[in-house]
Amino acid sequence: MGTIAATEDVDTTGVTPAERPVSGTGQHEAPPRARGPWARAWDRFKRNRLALISLIFCALLVLVAAAAPLIAPYHFGATDYANQLVGVGSEGHVLGTDQLGRDILSRTIYGLRTALIVAFGAELLALLAALVIGLTAGYRGGRVEQGLMAFTDVMYAFPSYLFAIVMVAVLGRSIIALIIAIGIAGWVTQARLVRAQVLTIKQREYVEAGRAMGASGPTIAIRYILPNAIGPLLVTTSFAIPAAIAAEAGLGLLGLGVQPPTPSWGAMISEGTRFLLAAPHMLLAPAAVFALSLLAFTWVGDGVRDAFDPRGEQR
Amino acid sequence: MDFLTFLSRRLVRLALCLVAVSIITFTLLQSAPGNFADIQRVTSGASSIGGTGTEQMLAESLSRYGDDVPAWQQYLTFMQGVATWDMGPSYRYAGRAVEDIIGSAFPISATLALLAVTLALLIAVPAGVFAALRQNSKADHSTMFLVTLGNALPSYLVAAFLIVIFSASLGWLPSSGWSRPEHLILPVLALSLGPAAVLARYVRSSMLETLREEYVTAAMAKGGPYRTVIVRHALRNSLIPLVTVVGPLLAALMTGTVFVEALFRIPGLGYYAATAAASRDMPLLMGTVLFFALIIMVVNLAVDLTYGFIDPRIRAEGGWGRSQLRKTSTQPA
Repeated sequence: MGTIAATEDVDTTGVTPAERPVSGTGQHEAPPRARGPWARAWDRFKRNRLALISLIFCALLVLVAAAAPLIAPYHFGATDYANQLVGVGSEGHVLGTDQLGRDILSRTIYGLRTALIVAFGAELLALLAALVIGLTAGYRGGRVEQGLMAFTDVMYAFPSYLFAIVMVAVLGRSIIALIIAIGIAGWVTQARLVRAQVLTIKQREYVEAGRAMGASGPTIAIRYILPNAIGPLLVTTSFAIPAAIAAEAGLGLLGLGVQPPTPSWGAMISEGTRFLLAAPHMLLAPAAVFALSLLAFTWVGDGVRDAFDPRGEQR
Repeated sequence: MDFLTFLSRRLVRLALCLVAVSIITFTLLQSAPGNFADIQRVTSGASSIGGTGTEQMLAESLSRYGDDVPAWQQYLTFMQGVATWDMGPSYRYAGRAVEDIIGSAFPISATLALLAVTLALLIAVPAGVFAALRQNSKADHSTMFLVTLGNALPSYLVAAFLIVIFSASLGWLPSSGWSRPEHLILPVLALSLGPAAVLARYVRSSMLETLREEYVTAAMAKGGPYRTVIVRHALRNSLIPLVTVVGPLLAALMTGTVFVEALFRIPGLGYYAATAAASRDMPLLMGTVLFFALIIMVVNLAVDLTYGFIDPRIRAEGGWGRSQLRKTSTQPA
């Protein structure tokens, strides 16, 4: 059976490129290629100017966060007592300093790093948990499903922000703790979605065919069902990223974020309200970057949703 | 399903959910370093309470929860306290009982949330109608752009910008505190803009739908004054689905108050929950978390009940269940 599948593979890949020039009619047209659902989704995404610009901006943010030690002019904890609370545009401190003379630009950049590490880490965790629980529940059915879904129902009733607050109180204020707190608070909706997807896909013929050919449960779940469930999951995940960024900052605002002096936008904003009159830039700089990042990630999410939403084609 | 059966079933489920939430919270807090009655020994040193006060509090909580008793017994003691509305002293706020703190803080949070929903409606309905009547015009697009902004930015970030504008630059309004009426303005404004965005989007699409209805065309054809037709025929009918959105928004607002209260230093429920978590004040944290969860669940239940009253079809489909309308993009903050 394995050999048959292998030769078929070679056959198709061998033929299609050779046929392409023949089937392409007009020279001015791009040669028609086999357009998979991913390629079509990408085409739709590209047409959305705002989403595309946002995506580029987000990529830039990720780069800046990754290269923070190279880009930031100072270390986030470096104090400069000669220049406390100096304003925007001061010499050596483009965005000014805080009450300890720490460079606001550097702290904002490192705050971005904290936000993105926590947000992506938490979403990865949430996605993994949702996939394992949702796939298992949806595919196995019966008792396993009932048990897992009862558990998700209880977690759904638990207000996610309260859960995150309790988790941080328990785990302490570290990056790992924040990732776990926000990730666990976020997986429930995803798990429900995965299960719903699995339940519909499970009925399709190709899954039945796979089963008839003797594929095992996990193989079917991962090789047959998962790839077809991933579109909607990608949409919710791309909306979950800005939500996780906001959650990280929110916890920082409550004094439950990363341990100082490691900067978090939320903690910077909270600190900024104490020096509002003397140094409004302390609040404004992180808040502005925070807002721009949230908008960019949200607009990417909008673009991804429209790209995967079949109704989007009518527009 | 008849109403009473549905209601009693939902109430049982709500109670079960609350118990589950309490067990999860308690188990998690148990696994934190230190024992339930002992934690303040670790933390209160830092929270500036005098030595004698600490010893006295320790004795108090020891006599309440007992020394060296199994965790499940401490849990039962606490839940008994919840049921009898006597949750014992807070660790962080010496001399204040948990139920007193919740009792004084809840009205503040509720005031904030209700005022914010009211303001959100006052902003959203005109904005949504305006955008719908000028569909695809520049005014429509810019209104909807503002809506996107309000939807994407959490309330505390809006609050931060409002503070910079109205407190720091203009000096019109105070940036923190809770004693005079003007302390209400910025928090309520910050809380209401997000929900206003969600609501405006609903009003717009609902209005666009009703404007296409035949009865609106008929009313126009009969020569009714434009304004009357819009308000009496179109707006009235397009506001019905809104009821279903306001409920979940109210629940989301309750969580939003946590951050706004922290930012403006308003002594509401969320403020206490956050300080309790930061100082590991376990009784207060348990109490506020449970109370919060209860409120959110009650609001959700009330919403599900109103669905049944508004839309008889939901009643027919096996009873008072959740409908499609429930899917609001309510960002918690």
